[in-house]
Amino acid sequence: MKKIIMAVLLTGLLSTAAFAQTYDIKEMTPAVKAALESRKSRFSELKALKAQGVVGENNHGYVQALSGGSDAKALVAAENKDRKFVYQAILEQNGLDAGALETVEMVFGKVQRGKASSGEKVQDENGNWRSSQ
Amino acid sequence: MRSLAVLLLLAFCAGCTVKAIGDPNRPITINAHITIDIKGLEKTASGIEDFVSGGAANK
Repeated sequence: MKKIIMAVLLTGLLSTAAFAQTYDIKEMTPAVKAALESRKSRFSELKALKAQGVVGENNHGYVQALSGGSDAKALVAAENKDRKFVYQAILEQNGLDAGALETVEMVFGKVQRGKASSGEKVQDENGNWRSSQ
Repeated sequence: MRSLAVLLLLAFCAGCTVKAIGDPNRPITINAHITIDIKGLEKTASGIEDFVSGGAANK
C-alpha cells in the first residue's frame, strides 16, 4: 500500500514538473517591442510625476493619475495601453486564457509596489493608497 | 513488481496526450484548471520592469 502511495506521489511530482512553465515574452514581436520601447521612452517623465505624487501605481498593474492635468492623464493612458498590450502578449504567448489577465495584472502590480521608490504613491492589496517606504 | 507496474502506468498517463475524435463541426470544449506559477510570473514581471527602467532598479 505504501508503495502505491509513493508511486502516486512520485507521479504527481513528475507531472507537476512536466507542466511547470516559465512565463515570458517568448517572441519579441514588433508590436511587443514597440510597446516596451514606448514604455522605456516615457519612464523618466512618469518617474518624475510619481515623485511629485501626481501618479501612483495601483494594485492592478497600472499607473493611475491621482491629480494633475490633461498631460499627466494622457501619459497615464498611453502607459496603461502599452502595459495592457504586454500583459495580453504574455497571456497569448504562454497559452493562458483571458481569465488569467487579472492574475497577471495583480502580479505586475505587486512587482511595481516592490520597485517603487520611497515616497511614491502605491495602492496596496486592500485598495488603500500609501507612500512607499 | 506490481507497484512498479502501477508507477509506470501512472507515469505514462501523466505524460500522455489526450486526443479527441469526433465531428469537427462540433468541437469538444475542455475547461482545464490552470494554476499559474506566481513566482515565475513575478520573476518575468521584474525582468520586464527592469528593462523598462533601463536596467537599473526603479528605486
